[in-house]
Amino acid sequence: MLQTFDEELTHLLDRVSLRDALAFKQLYELCSPKLFGLAIRVMDNRSWAEEVMQDAFLVIWRTASDYRGSLSPPMAWMGLIVRSRGLDHRRRRARQHGRQTHALDTVVGDSVAADIPSPMDAAQASEQASALHQCLRQLGNRQREVVTLAYVRDLSHSELAAQLQLPLGTIKTWMRRGIEQLRACMARFA
Amino acid sequence: MDLTRNDQLLDRLACGYALGTLRHGARRRFECLAREYAVVRRAALTWQARIAGLTELQLPHTPDPRVWLRIERLLQLDHTDPSRRPGMDATDGSVRVARAWWTSLGWWRGATAAGLCATVLAVGVGWTIVGQRSADVARLQAQLRAVPQDAYVAVLQDDKSTASMLVTLDLRHDRLTLQRLSGYREPPDRSLQLWAIPAGGQPRSLGVLDGPAVLQVATTQAAVSDAQVLAVSLEPLGGVPAAGGPTGPVLFSGTLIRKLP
Repeated sequence: MLQTFDEELTHLLDRVSLRDALAFKQLYELCSPKLFGLAIRVMDNRSWAEEVMQDAFLVIWRTASDYRGSLSPPMAWMGLIVRSRGLDHRRRRARQHGRQTHALDTVVGDSVAADIPSPMDAAQASEQASALHQCLRQLGNRQREVVTLAYVRDLSHSELAAQLQLPLGTIKTWMRRGIEQLRACMARFA
Repeated sequence: MDLTRNDQLLDRLACGYALGTLRHGARRRFECLAREYAVVRRAALTWQARIAGLTELQLPHTPDPRVWLRIERLLQLDHTDPSRRPGMDATDGSVRVARAWWTSLGWWRGATAAGLCATVLAVGVGWTIVGQRSADVARLQAQLRAVPQDAYVAVLQDDKSTASMLVTLDLRHDRLTLQRLSGYREPPDRSLQLWAIPAGGQPRSLGVLDGPAVLQVATTQAAVSDAQVLAVSLEPLGGVPAAGGPTGPVLFSGTLIRKLP
């Protein structure tokens, strides 16, 4: 099942690299919810996430021929483009507004404080992501949240502490535990 | 603390590296070790691939239909000129995105994460070039074995993973040699410019390539020592000022590898 979805996306990307507009639309229909979910996680703001989606899909249209050389599963390749565009947007906004935190970060702060499990969706994820999903589920909510945010938003320990309004030591402890649990779990998959 | 032997520590560091929480001096030291030791490089690549899975595991949200409509509209502008290749200069609004992409630091980081480092792998004391036609491999390997000590090497590939340029650095003599391998020739109103890209830093210009198939320029350790990737971009004739970074598309790029003594 997973194999088939990866293959389907790969074939669509091949056609997109040949300027097949219909394949591009099909690719968008299949992947946009996942990628938009990621964009929202990166930007924490729906309208900024929409801009990031537009930028990202233009990049996907233009660079679909690079995909094969990347050695990544198709969703991971597209996900990295979304993340990269999102981080670029964040940096530009920070330069314009002089700070990295956003007023709308309260959503994340609340979920960590209230111990609500972070939603993670493994539907139609590549095999590679499935292993990560299994291991992430075993992490405590806090550990999983800081690990996810560090990557998805390219945040340092101090930046995380500032955005989540938590002590630096706490962030470092959760990160260290999260990384150790991930390492031990993924070692069993190797 | 021998990183090359302590598996668990190596994995923890590689995971932190992939997540981006390993920073500053520790990050540079890890990258330096990754350049020197295949086992560290493998751990870094393994974890980069694993952690990239985080991008697939977020809760899906259906975007508003207007997002697709805007994408379609922006791409209509692209369709008005079927001869236009991706990344080439144009004057419409859609290319502002492409311009930003080529010059944004996020692309350089993303490129190294997405597999550029995987295109040249050092195996023992020899070199294996992945994705290269076999007819060229023996010739390139012979050239690479002839590289002197205290030296760096990069095979610059195009987007089809075809080796297009071979760069060797001889730092004992402060000399960089660039050899064109493919038949690619830039248009008469353009120049190819060579850049050294440190991880997460500003691209540094190493010079503009002119006609000859083999170019030798004076260079210094400082210009290349922390570079991770070399790239060749297509610029206006004569190149662009180094301070601004590349303005045109990157045609060839490759990981800079220090040859093991």
